[in-house]
Amino acid sequence: MMKKHSFGKAFDVAWTYALLIVVGFIFFFPCLWIVLASFSKSGSIYSFEGFFPTTYSIDTFKKLFTDTTMYNYPRWFFNTLFVAAGSCILGTFLTILTAYTMSRFEFRARKPMMKTTMVLGMFPSFMGMTAVYILMTQFGLINQIWGLILIYAAGAPMGYLTQKGFFDTIPKAIDEAAKIDGANSAQIFWKINLPLSKPIIVYTALTSFTWPWSDFILPKLLLKEKDLYTVAVGLMSLDETEFSRFAAGSVFIAVPIVIL
Amino acid sequence: MLEGFKNYIGVFKNSSWRVKLSALIMGSGQIIYGRIAKGLIYLFMEIAFLFYMIARGFKDIKGFFTLGTQKADAWLGIAGDNSVVMLLMGIFAWIIVALFIGVYISNIKDAINIENTIISGKHPKAFIEELKELIDRKFYVTVLVLPVIGICVFNILPIIFMILISFTNYGGSTVPPELVDWVGLDNFKKILTLSKFAPTFIRILGWNILWAVVSTTLNYFAGIGLALLLNKDCVKGKAFFRAFPILAYAIPGFITLLAFKFMFSYGGPVNQMIRNAGGTPIGFLDLDAKWIARLIGLLVNCWISVPSIMLLATGHLSNRDMSLYEAARIDGATPFQQFKKLTLPFMLFATMPVLLGQFIGNFNNFGIFYFLRGGLYLDGYFLASDTDLLINWLYNLSIDNNYYCIGAAISLIIFIITSVISLAVYVNSPSFKEEDTFQ
Repeated sequence: MMKKHSFGKAFDVAWTYALLIVVGFIFFFPCLWIVLASFSKSGSIYSFEGFFPTTYSIDTFKKLFTDTTMYNYPRWFFNTLFVAAGSCILGTFLTILTAYTMSRFEFRARKPMMKTTMVLGMFPSFMGMTAVYILMTQFGLINQIWGLILIYAAGAPMGYLTQKGFFDTIPKAIDEAAKIDGANSAQIFWKINLPLSKPIIVYTALTSFTWPWSDFILPKLLLKEKDLYTVAVGLMSLDETEFSRFAAGSVFIAVPIVIL
Repeated sequence: MLEGFKNYIGVFKNSSWRVKLSALIMGSGQIIYGRIAKGLIYLFMEIAFLFYMIARGFKDIKGFFTLGTQKADAWLGIAGDNSVVMLLMGIFAWIIVALFIGVYISNIKDAINIENTIISGKHPKAFIEELKELIDRKFYVTVLVLPVIGICVFNILPIIFMILISFTNYGGSTVPPELVDWVGLDNFKKILTLSKFAPTFIRILGWNILWAVVSTTLNYFAGIGLALLLNKDCVKGKAFFRAFPILAYAIPGFITLLAFKFMFSYGGPVNQMIRNAGGTPIGFLDLDAKWIARLIGLLVNCWISVPSIMLLATGHLSNRDMSLYEAARIDGATPFQQFKKLTLPFMLFATMPVLLGQFIGNFNNFGIFYFLRGGLYLDGYFLASDTDLLINWLYNLSIDNNYYCIGAAISLIIFIITSVISLAVYVNSPSFKEEDTFQ
């Protein structure tokens, strides 16, 4: 009886590990594939023997940054960086302020505003984008990187709920103590709550940086000139013969995100 | 609400002539009572509003209804009306009118307030004091101005615009300089009955619902399964095994999708292996690859979304009440029974909002088939392929082919479907009904 039990247990452990290894492999393999492909020498996917390139070199990375006649990768990269950084700063600022007021102040429009944001969230995000696209074409505002930042930043306060949850946990007694000492609301926010909320600011900044960094729909709609592309749109325009260039570009764009 | 309004009318009737004068000339009551700066601001607003209405407002509101009457004619040199701009300016004019009504009401309330304070013998606040309130008691007003304007301009205005567009015939060849007209519910009728749209709509809707249900279920159970697997006592080096899904989670979605597209393409590694093994290459994502392409879509989506569900489930699993499992084991429950009767209800309860979010997200999952199989138009479908979801169709129609009004109508339909489902699920979900079951 005892022996059978321990055999069952060993079997259990064995298949658990087997399954875990398979799952790990499934998740790891495509990543490995892309990384190796980015070091391939010839560049075209057709020259691969099975999954992996036959010869390796770092030429693709060099080409990615020097050969800019057809695909201006450095330019795309800086566009993306510019858009992501801009909307990160603006978006974080707006989101934190919104969340703070929603958490701390009782005013008449509060509940209606919270309900409105919920209903707005149910519209397909696409609907607004098509409208923005139509309006931008009507007014000739297509190909403006600034427009992109504005749209990202303006949409950011919609996701204020996480941040509100954080502010809800900061005890209100601190505020009241400061008020008794004669501070006004603006001072309470700047001098007391803002320093306390560093973790949530970092979190907000990260999310509002990664979203434009990897978004493709909006830039694809609004940026029609190759020089203005962000990396996501640019990489989409590469085809099978440029496979390793795509892989190298992907590795380069994924690295900051993975590190974060 | 109505009671309060009636109350205000009563107060207004009983007030002095000064308040009644400011109902006609805004700010006059405030000026008579010595609050000159504030009174002048109100007065200035009224003048500006009247000026705007005479200069453009009335014309814009009329344009909102007619959407233009004069067609442009290059030969005769007539500039003509631009219907889209007129629609937009019309919405804008309505907003101005609504804002003005708000200011008007606040003006009368303010006049009554000042009067009451003076009657009761107190000194009403000076203008400077009121400004100071903006950084103290009314700090929220100052702070929320920017986000609210941003959301109004970039979220609410486009949505209103699109809703209105779905009731016009804007799109196709009817774009400015042609005139656009209101057509009522015609677009919705067209989608449901016209032979051009209806079959495509029905097919895509069916596939869309199937896709949302299957992929959500698959992702959810795969995610929970993985979390449970990693949670087993016998597994050593959990952090190591967890690192793989997290790595996958961190890679931006579009890179993953494009990589998978390359992987399954004709020259891609999967086909090369088939060729090396002596088979003929398979066009996984080709025109006639209906179910294979759908299956690949499901699996790829699984690859992308399982890690996030796994992370979430891991967090919740550690909150389980383990004594329940102990009791179940003593009563002789098999692991499967434990999962069905204990783990699953608990997880469903804890993750209902996320599950709902996943369902809506999958229902509107644009990326998957746009990247894997974008831009294919098949026979039997109008500007769509058999893997396209409604949202892809919407994209094809409105961005690539200018069918703006049909696209807008479809987005309204998507909105109705998703909000009805969300509401129904939310109201019927245990997390809503019995909040304290697991507390």
